[in-house]
Amino acid sequence: MVRESRHLLMTVAPGASWIVFFLVLPSAYLMSVAFMSSGTYGLPEMPLSLESFRRLAGFGFLGWSPGNLYTLLRSLWQTLVATGLVVAIAYPIAYHISTCRARWRPIMLLAVVVPSWTNQVIRTFGWMNLLAPGTPLSSVAEALGLVAPNMGLYPSNFAVTLGLVYNFLPFMVLPLYAAFEKLDTAQVEAAQDLYASPLRAFRHAVFPQTLPGLLAGIVLVAIPAFGMYVIPELLGGGKGMMLGNLVANQFAGSANWPLGAAGAILMLIATFIGLFAMRRIGKRLGGGEEVVI
Amino acid sequence: MSRRSLRRTLTGIWWLTLLFLYLPLAVVALFSFNAANSAASFTGFSLRWYERLMGNEEILSAFANSMILAIVSSVVALGIGCFIGYGMYRHRHRKLGWLIVLIYLPIVLPDIVFGISEMAFFVQIHRLTGFLQPGLGTMIIAHVTFQIPFVALIVYSRFVGLDPALFEAAKDLYASPAKRALHFMLPTIKPALISAFFLSFTLSVDDFVISFFTAGPESATLPIYIWGAIKKGVSPEINAVATLMLAAVAIVAIASLLFSRRRPV
Amino acid sequence: MTMHKTTLALSLGGLLLAGSVHAQENKLYLFNWTEYMDPEIIEDFEAQYDVEVVQNYFNSLPEMFAKLNAGGVSQYDIIVPSNYYVPRLIETGLVQKLDKSKLENLDNVMEQFRDPSYDPDAEYSAPYQWGTTAMVYNTETFPDAPKSWSLMFDPEVNPEHPFALMGDGQVSMGAACAYLGHGYDCTDPEAWKEAARLIIDTKGRDTFSGFTDGTPALQQLARGVTHVGMSYNGDYLFFKDEDPETFESLDFMIPDEGAEMWVDAMLIPSEAPNPDMAHKFIDFILDAQVGARLSNYNYYASPNAAAEPYLDDVLTQPPVQPSDADMQRLRFTPSLQGEALQTFQQLWSEVQSR
Repeated sequence: MVRESRHLLMTVAPGASWIVFFLVLPSAYLMSVAFMSSGTYGLPEMPLSLESFRRLAGFGFLGWSPGNLYTLLRSLWQTLVATGLVVAIAYPIAYHISTCRARWRPIMLLAVVVPSWTNQVIRTFGWMNLLAPGTPLSSVAEALGLVAPNMGLYPSNFAVTLGLVYNFLPFMVLPLYAAFEKLDTAQVEAAQDLYASPLRAFRHAVFPQTLPGLLAGIVLVAIPAFGMYVIPELLGGGKGMMLGNLVANQFAGSANWPLGAAGAILMLIATFIGLFAMRRIGKRLGGGEEVVI
Repeated sequence: MSRRSLRRTLTGIWWLTLLFLYLPLAVVALFSFNAANSAASFTGFSLRWYERLMGNEEILSAFANSMILAIVSSVVALGIGCFIGYGMYRHRHRKLGWLIVLIYLPIVLPDIVFGISEMAFFVQIHRLTGFLQPGLGTMIIAHVTFQIPFVALIVYSRFVGLDPALFEAAKDLYASPAKRALHFMLPTIKPALISAFFLSFTLSVDDFVISFFTAGPESATLPIYIWGAIKKGVSPEINAVATLMLAAVAIVAIASLLFSRRRPV
Repeated sequence: MTMHKTTLALSLGGLLLAGSVHAQENKLYLFNWTEYMDPEIIEDFEAQYDVEVVQNYFNSLPEMFAKLNAGGVSQYDIIVPSNYYVPRLIETGLVQKLDKSKLENLDNVMEQFRDPSYDPDAEYSAPYQWGTTAMVYNTETFPDAPKSWSLMFDPEVNPEHPFALMGDGQVSMGAACAYLGHGYDCTDPEAWKEAARLIIDTKGRDTFSGFTDGTPALQQLARGVTHVGMSYNGDYLFFKDEDPETFESLDFMIPDEGAEMWVDAMLIPSEAPNPDMAHKFIDFILDAQVGARLSNYNYYASPNAAAEPYLDDVLTQPPVQPSDADMQRLRFTPSLQGEALQTFQQLWSEVQSR
């Protein structure tokens, strides 16, 4: 038994201590910064204070202002819309791939995944080019009256949504495809006999089986989308600030480390609530089966 | 809706999605050959933006940094990660909840929180001890941190997929644990190690936010360089650098396709 | 056991490799604005002192300040901030005093830069260039543009053409203050609040394209993404020289309500790795010939009196050397400290997040 414990320690200890030292401690330090006060130039100082949380909630010595609340709501809304759109696109796509001939499937999957092998910054930059004023897409939008004259589709909140959908689509297709591939066709056929409408057959036989994949996909998309920094920064043009930008700005621009740290805590809380909720939903709908992310 | 029309609709959606996925990349590549400095109109073929890249030392060193960072961090993560993966497998019957939490932490933590935590922590450590000055070293540390979990999980799932009887056989065959590791375990998990290495490598190349916050004056990677160029507003040259990166990705994609075709997994 | 050792060796090797990159001697780390240095000057300096100059760039002062706080204070030898950031750099101890005995060319500096308000007695800083930040606009879109910030802030003057404000909050707020009649260098909290409200309203307009730093703003204008923006006189001329065709229809204008005049100065971070070489670099830039070459390359006015005979003609006329009337309307950006700075930061972060 002692030998076994030593074995466990020897194999696991290097990695575990690496993560503890280079991630758990840093995060703990950042959390503690949130409870310090901000010096004149934004660096954390003693004494301890809850000022940064007050600031985060919108209270400054100018009274209450809604900017941070807007930012939070914007992040939630963008995450919701982008995740919804990603599901709407990925679901038929994943199904389609799973019904194609076996030898085509790896190629099709690869085709979906390859764009995400390029760097996020480059992918987003592509949309900056595509949506700028004067480009064909923008001209069409202008002619339809969707954007103001002489403006492009970028920068805008719409461009941010589009960027998020583009960026995260593969993360939804992969787990959904895995679910479709394992689909129990006997069950589906039985359902088709049982229910008259294909819609009901889908709801009772297909959808529940793909749910674990769907939930995994939602976790993979929604969590990073909520904390996104690059896309709103490049495509939002100062109108589409999200929580990630609010946090980053406190370290990279108008400095206020404690406020940024408080924002990070808010982001973590939201993330863990999301994870927890997904697990609960997954457990209930999946008949107690645990969803592995 | 009949079967056939459903099929047709799906095929339509599929091609539209492909267009959506590749259009921005194609535009980047196309405009890297644009004669004019414009994102709106293509006025003629020209290699002028590529000529500007030639001999641009900053880009070369950014490329070198990207490669060093990706390779070194992947190798280190591979070493550390496969030990955890094995440990998790060997002791899977024990209660290892704390380890699972620890391993999932780097995966679920938002990039921005990850990057800023490390930046703030490293700065503090540097102030106190003189170690961990922002630069390639800190970037490697940060990258290894988010690569370890993926390596561990891949290696773990490979072990789980093996027949436990194999381990017994190996125990009889090789006396010392070292020999067992070398002649039995390494060969059996080799496919897992290869895919873990490639995944780590991809994750490293794909990362921007964490690199950005842990970088120093001489450790800019290609994405950081491109970010700076976008912020500076020089568009056509970025098109050219980005196109070169896209070409590299395309080559890797084709290679991996050929590789997987030859040896169906 | 082999695997333990290999892993250990690999990880150690990797870390050492990474660490050794910084161990090299005889380098000079320059942290400067983008597009602000003649590459040939760097080459000459490298040749003369057998040193390698490593350049890093920033697009805005907040970015520079943040980078210094995030470890940069011990990684750069020279930084080139603008006047209004110098006091806070001194106060936070991020910069060190200059050793004037090492700066023989200090006598070349013009009289008015020897005792600047931002650094009394010039104990910490030596001037690099000076210039103005004002408006650049498209003369084809606005053939009869008023000499006023209303081109941005008044939807009736500019109802349907995209425009961008500046990313540095103090400069954008200054412009809004000037437009509202409080002067570019306003510091009154009530005036600020009014300016912040104006910018928030402006952000809400369909044609507001974003906050852009000075150098990229010119690129946006050149590409027709915006039709009005805020930028620097020297960068404007620099790009005009590079691409005369496009910049034909772009003009630099100092609004009658007032705009910014700035001085960029060279400072040495308090924990600079190579302060000795940093002094040599400052002295090199202050040389008459080098100073003139710098300005001739940059199209910015030189604070170097001895450089005057070598300056190109373009540097002696507007917009590099503003007319007397314009000069009257130019102001330094106020250097904020203490509570005033906190108030400003809160207002600006509100503007950003709305």
